[in-house]
Amino acid sequence: MWARIILLSLCVLMIASAIHFDPARQRSLLLARPAEGPHLKLMTWNIGYAEMEDDSRAHTKDLQMVAQTILRNDPDAVALQELTGPDQLKALLGYLKGKYGGAVATPGSADRVEAVLVKSQNDRKASFERVAAGERFFVAAEFQSQSKAPQIVFVSAHADAFSSARRRVFTGDVVDWSHTQPNNALVFIAGDFNFELRSTDDSHLYSDNVKNDSEAYSYLLKYFRDLGRDASDTAVNDRRIDYVFGPTEAVFLRKADVLRGTGAEQMDHWPVIVEIALEKE
Amino acid sequence: MFTQLRLEFLKLFRSRSLWFSFAAVSVFVVLMLWGFYSYAERQAGPGATAQFKYTYESKSYFNGLTFALYSLMFSFSLLIPIFVAMVAGSQIAGERQTGTLRMICTRPVSRVSLVLAKFLAVSCYTWTLIAFFIGLNLLVGLLFVGWGDLQIYPGALNLVDEPGKLLRDEALWRFVCASFTGAGALLVIAAIAMLFSVICRNAANATVGTLALYVTFLVIGRVEFFEQLRPYFFTTDMDFWRDVFKPDIPWTSFQHYASICGAYIFGTLALAITIFQRRDITS
Repeated sequence: MWARIILLSLCVLMIASAIHFDPARQRSLLLARPAEGPHLKLMTWNIGYAEMEDDSRAHTKDLQMVAQTILRNDPDAVALQELTGPDQLKALLGYLKGKYGGAVATPGSADRVEAVLVKSQNDRKASFERVAAGERFFVAAEFQSQSKAPQIVFVSAHADAFSSARRRVFTGDVVDWSHTQPNNALVFIAGDFNFELRSTDDSHLYSDNVKNDSEAYSYLLKYFRDLGRDASDTAVNDRRIDYVFGPTEAVFLRKADVLRGTGAEQMDHWPVIVEIALEKE
Repeated sequence: MFTQLRLEFLKLFRSRSLWFSFAAVSVFVVLMLWGFYSYAERQAGPGATAQFKYTYESKSYFNGLTFALYSLMFSFSLLIPIFVAMVAGSQIAGERQTGTLRMICTRPVSRVSLVLAKFLAVSCYTWTLIAFFIGLNLLVGLLFVGWGDLQIYPGALNLVDEPGKLLRDEALWRFVCASFTGAGALLVIAAIAMLFSVICRNAANATVGTLALYVTFLVIGRVEFFEQLRPYFFTTDMDFWRDVFKPDIPWTSFQHYASICGAYIFGTLALAITIFQRRDITS
């Protein structure tokens, strides 16, 4: 009898301990890190449709809603993926009522392009650069969020959805390109990288696909910080494949959010917003 | 109780399944060494195209500690649970099958202390098996692959969210810790096997029942259709043992899942004792 009572008491004690040590609680404490200094808000969003749709690229009819989301959240710069081309960018900038300027990447052989938008400032203009990486292209904007704030380089990138080897080459090229930027510039790389990496999912132990993505992600983390790591999944099927990478020093993460449920029903990604404080000079 | 415990250890020490399990894990280490060697030669040897130059093919990646970690991870899910289920499943059901259970129960020994003594013996066996396996891997790794730091990358093994590194001495301590956390996680299987052992009439049924339950949850937990159910499987909670290999151990999560496993162990044992005490032993 006593043995059973002791065992049941231990069982109850263990259940109480499991409830007390709730892993979700630890996570929320780590999420925000307030800091003084100029703030910067960055957004990335793949506005294309899910694969099962007839045309998985962005649809012009959704652009007004995309613009409203951008205006409501008021980011300093936005990285968009899967636009059909410059016409859609033009339409989007129209909906944004001149509050943002932007550019699209060179399409190359792909049927969709990335775009980068930067909030217009009266006294400071953004410049844009289109760069080749692997078999694809990406687009970068260079701007200053506030006067006396450091120069910001913001990249909008989209890695291959179907080949981890191509993702690795593309990511390597983007990172190597970032090294060519001036030393005093703060480089941020945002976009849909399609990495399949989950430490909670132990279904794959060792495969070339995992190794390719692990290599690409590790290479990024050698020079950058994954600013949205503590935010939730960014795409349907519980995937976190949209990222904002930033410098490891000189910036403090204030907030990282995924705006779940935002966008058209057929879209398979949600916008990721990262707010950071820049270190005072 | 102590006499009972001594007898259980003696019986366990004399059983063939114990020595078979040690021999089997030793063969597995040899196989892993062969696979590891040929893979490293293929991927990082002369003439190989460096694809993963920052991570898996860097010169310092393939070393004895990496070898031991991979070997341990691969064997933990499927190989070692088989032996734990086999030994634990045969404890009561095996005695019943050979006709000795009735005789034991006629002696002035309580059924509770019988089950607890058997479970303690199984617990010691579980720790010894996993400690032997880790020790053998480290020894083989040291002799045939060489020492170095333990580098861990996101993705493969699914241990970390960002690249990390454990210095050699720290990594060795983590392996020592893993022998305890690993044994702790496996005790969930041992407790379930004890429950089946009390219920079933022969040891094979108890072992197969335990393994069927374990493998079913393990497989279902990996199928994407059942992702919503995954948090409720004991196989998911058992993964806490791997946290000791993370450069920064997530203590809150570790204690949470370790506590859940503790609840499974004590709850299942209490149930096994309750059933065993009410059982009419006729064979």
